[in-house]
Amino acid sequence: MGKKRVLGPSAWMLGATGLVIGVFAAFLVKQGNPGNMGLCIACFIRDITSFFGGEAMKMNAFAYVRPEIVGIMLGATVGAFAFREFKARGSSGAVYRFVLGFIFMVSALIFLGCPVRAWLRLGGGDLNAAVGIAGLVVGIAVGTVFLKRGYIVGRAKKLTKPAGLVMPVIAVVLLALALVTFYNGAAPAGFATVAKGAKKTAEGAVFTADKVIAPPGASMVDGAIVGADGEVVSPAESVSVAAGIPGGSRAPLYLALVGGLAIGLAAQRSRFCSVGGVRDAILIKRYDLLVGVAGLVIGVAVMNIVFGQFNLGFDGQPAAHTNFLGNFLPMILVGLTAVFMGGCPLRQVVMASEGDLDAVAAVLGMMVGAVASHALTLASTGAGPASGAWVAMGVMAVVTLGIGFLRTQKA
Amino acid sequence: MVEVDVRGFVCPVPLMRTKKALESDPGKVVVLASDGTAKTNVTYLLQDEGYAVTVTEDGDDYRIEGTK
Repeated sequence: MGKKRVLGPSAWMLGATGLVIGVFAAFLVKQGNPGNMGLCIACFIRDITSFFGGEAMKMNAFAYVRPEIVGIMLGATVGAFAFREFKARGSSGAVYRFVLGFIFMVSALIFLGCPVRAWLRLGGGDLNAAVGIAGLVVGIAVGTVFLKRGYIVGRAKKLTKPAGLVMPVIAVVLLALALVTFYNGAAPAGFATVAKGAKKTAEGAVFTADKVIAPPGASMVDGAIVGADGEVVSPAESVSVAAGIPGGSRAPLYLALVGGLAIGLAAQRSRFCSVGGVRDAILIKRYDLLVGVAGLVIGVAVMNIVFGQFNLGFDGQPAAHTNFLGNFLPMILVGLTAVFMGGCPLRQVVMASEGDLDAVAAVLGMMVGAVASHALTLASTGAGPASGAWVAMGVMAVVTLGIGFLRTQKA
Repeated sequence: MVEVDVRGFVCPVPLMRTKKALESDPGKVVVLASDGTAKTNVTYLLQDEGYAVTVTEDGDDYRIEGTK
């Protein structure tokens, strides 16, 4: 005692949590998740939202209740209850957290990933992620300037315990929907889902390894998709090069659920945050949270190499684009909104599951942001950012800075 | 003795305020916090700064006492 340490006692637990997340993420990709997307809070919340938004919101290609998110929610709730840290709380800052969650999501879907996935992409050799992370660091640095000047999003008050159960109840409902869909082989009426392993041809036919889903009544004949009327819908050469539909790329449900539970529990106990590491290093010269991020990058990189999934470079990266500003600028907003929200999206999901209603507002903001991203065509594709993304980023930057100034009180 | 009340604040405000309170190098510091994350992080910060720390639960809140 008495001697200052560079790393506190929590560093090892955080590093271990990062390793667990990294290793699981690489494993889930090996098991069928999209490339470098073993875990992505933004993408997976978008996918879950797509289950409800479906075709009406132009989201049906992503529709799938990702069990990883459900697992994280339930794991965090279990951890909070087991260690008597489940506390219903909320403040007037919830409105700001909602707006920040919205802006966070729209920005993350321009980059194509949340901070967790940015680090995972880096550990997969995707150098576009390094550009995004540079933006993330800039955004966090700007956020710390506001924090130093007295920025506070809200001061939470205690609420009665049942109020804190909003997120856990949502998690249970989502789990039920995921299981019903899984055992029925189709989403309940009114909801959308993509069949596991589904691919789409250039002509619009959808098929899996064992059946043709669209157009209705079509079947596979000698490698070609033939309609009910006997006309060829997609020739064999088109079928053989058909691209996978994002929502259909997934690891087995139970593996993803168990992985999520483990990550949720570890994140709740260790307070792992994919943004807090950089923030604390700048703000208070503490590096424990950064050890967590280092663990994640090392864990996923090593396992990616083991599984043969490591691919160093800018081009040909899965679910990524190579537009420099399209990677750098949105991640500034991601970093800034995450600091303003009080933690990265993974932390928001964990805090929401611990009874924090402001964090629930942030998660709901992310869901509405996901709908806006796709309904208004702001989300990027592998080809690059959408034309509307640039204007959207300008508007969102103004709103985010406005919230920053509005919530900064002289101490 | 210095007292810091960070009940209701999310990270990193509890850590920032505690760190600021430590600038005067007090022999004893009491931090009131309301969530588990603040409790854990403040405890580690105080320990790193050379304080012996005891945490007591006060209803739904935590009272973190550090003495040097």
